[in-house]
Amino acid sequence: MIATRLPALVDRLRAVVGDDGVLSAHSDLVVYECDGFVIEKNCPDVAVFPRTAAQVQAIVRLCNEFDVPFLPRGAGTSLAGGCLPVGGGVMIVLTRMKEILEINLRDRYAVVQPGVVNVWLTQALKGTGYHYAPDPSSQGACTIGGNVATNSGGPHTLKYGVTVNHVLGVEAVLPDGTLVEFGGLSEDQPGLDLPGLIVGSEGTLAIVTKVWVRLTRDPQGWRTMLGIFESVADATNAISAIIGAGIVPAALEMMDQGILVAVEEAFRFGFPLDAQAILLIEVDGLEAGLDQQRDRIIELCRANNARDVRLAASAAERQLLWKCRKQAFGAVGRLSPSYCTQDGVVPRTKLPYILERIIDIGRRHEIRIVNVFHAGDGNIHPILLFDERDADQVRRVLAASGEILDECIACGGSVTGEHGIGVEKIEFMHKLFSAADLDVMARVRHSFNPAGRLSPAKMLPTAGACGLEQRHPGRRAAM
Amino acid sequence: MTVTAKTPPRSETQSPATAEELAEIVARAAAAETALYPVGGGTGLNFGLPARRSGLSLSTTQLNRVVDYPARDMTITVEAGRSMQSLRELLATQGQRLPVDAPQADTATIGGVIATATSGPRRFGHGSIRDFVIGISAVDGRGVAFKAGGRVVKNVAGYDFCKLLTGSRGALAVITQVTLKLRPVAESTAWVVCDIASYEKAETVLAELVRSAIVPTAIELVAGPAWERDNLLGPASGCCAARLLVGVEGAAVEVAWMTRQLQREWREQGIADSQVIDASGAAELWSRLCEFPVESASGLTVKATVRPSAVTRFVAAARAIDERALIQSHAGNGIVYVRYPEFTANEALPVLVRGLQPAAVAAGGHAVVYQCPADLELTHQAVWGPAAPASAIMASVKKQFDPAGILNPGLSLFAC
Ligand SMILES: Cc1cc2nc3c(=O)[nH]c(=O)nc-3n(C[C@H](O)[C@H](O)[C@H](O)COP(=O)(O)OP(=O)(O)OC[C@H]3O[C@@H](n4cnc5c(N)ncnc54)[C@H](O)[C@@H]3O)c2cc1C
Ligand SMILES: Cc1cc2nc3c(=O)[nH]c(=O)nc-3n(C[C@H](O)[C@H](O)[C@H](O)COP(=O)(O)OP(=O)(O)OC[C@H]3O[C@@H](n4cnc5c(N)ncnc54)[C@H](O)[C@@H]3O)c2cc1C
Repeated sequence: MIATRLPALVDRLRAVVGDDGVLSAHSDLVVYECDGFVIEKNCPDVAVFPRTAAQVQAIVRLCNEFDVPFLPRGAGTSLAGGCLPVGGGVMIVLTRMKEILEINLRDRYAVVQPGVVNVWLTQALKGTGYHYAPDPSSQGACTIGGNVATNSGGPHTLKYGVTVNHVLGVEAVLPDGTLVEFGGLSEDQPGLDLPGLIVGSEGTLAIVTKVWVRLTRDPQGWRTMLGIFESVADATNAISAIIGAGIVPAALEMMDQGILVAVEEAFRFGFPLDAQAILLIEVDGLEAGLDQQRDRIIELCRANNARDVRLAASAAERQLLWKCRKQAFGAVGRLSPSYCTQDGVVPRTKLPYILERIIDIGRRHEIRIVNVFHAGDGNIHPILLFDERDADQVRRVLAASGEILDECIACGGSVTGEHGIGVEKIEFMHKLFSAADLDVMARVRHSFNPAGRLSPAKMLPTAGACGLEQRHPGRRAAM
Repeated sequence: MTVTAKTPPRSETQSPATAEELAEIVARAAAAETALYPVGGGTGLNFGLPARRSGLSLSTTQLNRVVDYPARDMTITVEAGRSMQSLRELLATQGQRLPVDAPQADTATIGGVIATATSGPRRFGHGSIRDFVIGISAVDGRGVAFKAGGRVVKNVAGYDFCKLLTGSRGALAVITQVTLKLRPVAESTAWVVCDIASYEKAETVLAELVRSAIVPTAIELVAGPAWERDNLLGPASGCCAARLLVGVEGAAVEVAWMTRQLQREWREQGIADSQVIDASGAAELWSRLCEFPVESASGLTVKATVRPSAVTRFVAAARAIDERALIQSHAGNGIVYVRYPEFTANEALPVLVRGLQPAAVAAGGHAVVYQCPADLELTHQAVWGPAAPASAIMASVKKQFDPAGILNPGLSLFAC
């Protein structure tokens, strides 16, 4: 923004949120130059930390008055550059709106502010018999506002669904500063399902200031299994067989040999290092039905050449298994100085095919790729290992990533199952959607965000430009 | 504004055989500013405000093909005009289902069910239709065919028009094709039923159910004369205010355990008598509870949605207005259908505007007219209740999809 007007804006923002709620020194702002996607960086001109929806409204009105772009940020764990302040402007950081406002077990909902960290709600609900189902692997850091904006998933989406299936309503500040409620406590509100539209809109339609979430009954019991396979194809065939048998596991995750080595080194669980693939399979629900499901799953794994199927013997062992899974990304740091986690989706039955293609693509580009992913959903997360100091490797990683995502599209899938488009994948939108599809999406954005000041250059390619050209691959290992 | 005619003044019906033909019809209508009324099975046209403008009916019933059914992926792509019943039968051949209830399934179409966000008793356990639509193709009011979502169960690329079009009542776009996420059919099902003496007691039992060890698929509270002498349920015990029906589904061992467990829990709560309805009786009860809201074409039927904990209070209020009121409630979700079978137009309006709508608002929700006497003069407020705070933004979304305002003009809350 025009530097001469910045001091005036900063003063006005201070008047809204107080001196301690505004950062404008460049040294303070570097933290906010990117999120988990570190390729493109740009500092906002100001970062503001509102505590109330009224303050968010006032900030948004000031941004309009000064004609500067603005965007919301939660914990900044986005892997798609959703928090990149394209064109600078004002970053509205919601981490001070961190109250759990209400937990109502009788009516099975909770009301939270957007800056509440996902796991805080889980902790607050411990012992009540209820939980909040969406559990992204980043749940220790990411906010519910960010989860709403990206429609986060996690390992348990196969049975329990993603964020949108658990959001009853939102309160939000529209780009013109109006405060509105969409949906809420009672279901089936007349009119359009705007909560359904806001969830997953990646902060391009409105700034969420309050969320009504549905609470889910804790399952009575679990059976957590580890299927050990000699080949990736056997493991993926077992997945299809389990789903095909009418079993809906709570989670069905796969790790290939490459990632197993790293995870084993980090957590010493006792994974067999020579296995080509393992499946982490969890069924939950009524105790009365669990043994039957467990037996059937073991049978189906064996029928698909599992070398062994182990059962988590205790709650502690189950927890350790999940820790290994959820922190697998962190363990990748042991394998290589840098890595890039991709996020693509294919129909479940295409998993054997896509994994073969990934191996082939890795081989051709001489890039090592390891896999840990939500297999039951067909949501792959190939992790491309490289050294970012080597420009040639960087180029090859980019090429390999692009090919993998193109293969997902060719299989009838998608280029993102949960991380979002952000700035990272804008160029793929043309491949997934026709010009007409994108035009209708742009029109919807226009109806909310006519001046285009809220989070510009995200999610939808702008007319004429093809989004940001990617010059550098994925993110570092440090998370 | 008040209006009287109940059915849209439609001069003719167009039944395109392909989505392309449909788009051409819409484009022509947009150019001529002719109103278009999308129709699927036509089972649910008589709600909302009646149409004001004459125009064309646009039938989707020829768009009824199965585009792709990769059963192993547990998804299906079908055209919007396919009937719910034929969809159900096809899925059953693979041991699968769409666990969303719709009345008159042999006529109702999947497109219509999505456009009206229809659901039934199973929504407590399975969610509603919005949770199953993963891809959608439609034609907007300009005649432009577009799509969103895809064919995979997890996908966050682009805006989620699967949600936006669900429940949009044909006012944004004509849905031509959808991809649905599926579930396995349940091996077994049963109902556990008891009579409850008072509404206060009913709330206690419902509140306990929230903490029950069982996992219900449906929690139905019914009341009123017809339910008291129902042949499936048997006659209600003497001083019964309401009957509570809990539906369970799952593996046979699970269902057996849940029915025993629930009876045990109820005994501890002082409900000595309860009965289990299984086998063919259970199937009949599911279908009865699915059809109840549309069972009778006469009188006034209102659908209210309130806080689950306020259901019994709302039911008591509805019965206090007139004791002939017939009630079905998806109590776990706070949804209550109230029918006054004998109401005339004169009786209906004050009950709506001064009785049920304020009661629903007081219970944390709202009430809309589901069916009403043909000669009832309705106002916008009477049909939809007080204006939604978000109606301005809804109207501006509508404008983007349908700039000429030709799709179902006047029929929706935000499309007047
Ligand atoms: C190690 C690791 C593991 C991960 N695992 C998963 C996983 O399993 N599943 C998954 O889905 N994701 C995963 N992610 C991605 C990321 O954590 C999620 O997208 C998360 O929802 C982002 O939350 P956040 O608070 O960090 O949001 P941010 O990164 O701050 O923001 C994300 C986007 O949301 C917008 N936004 C933030 N707050 C608001 C608001 N209040 N109103 C409107 N828009 C807002 C931002 O503008 C931005 O576009 C993972 C990330 C990491 C680093
Ligand atoms: C308030 C309310 C009242 C209801 N009343 C009844 C009732 O009296 N009887 C009954 O059996 N069910 C009723 N239902 C249930 C519901 O209408 C039906 O289950 C469902 O609409 C059946 O599909 P259909 O094909 O018969 O739709 P239709 O009755 O043909 O259409 C229903 C609505 O959906 C729109 N529509 C239909 N197909 C499409 C499409 N492909 N694209 C866009 N819009 C479309 C129509 O324009 C119309 O507004 C009601 C639902 C609601 C919400």
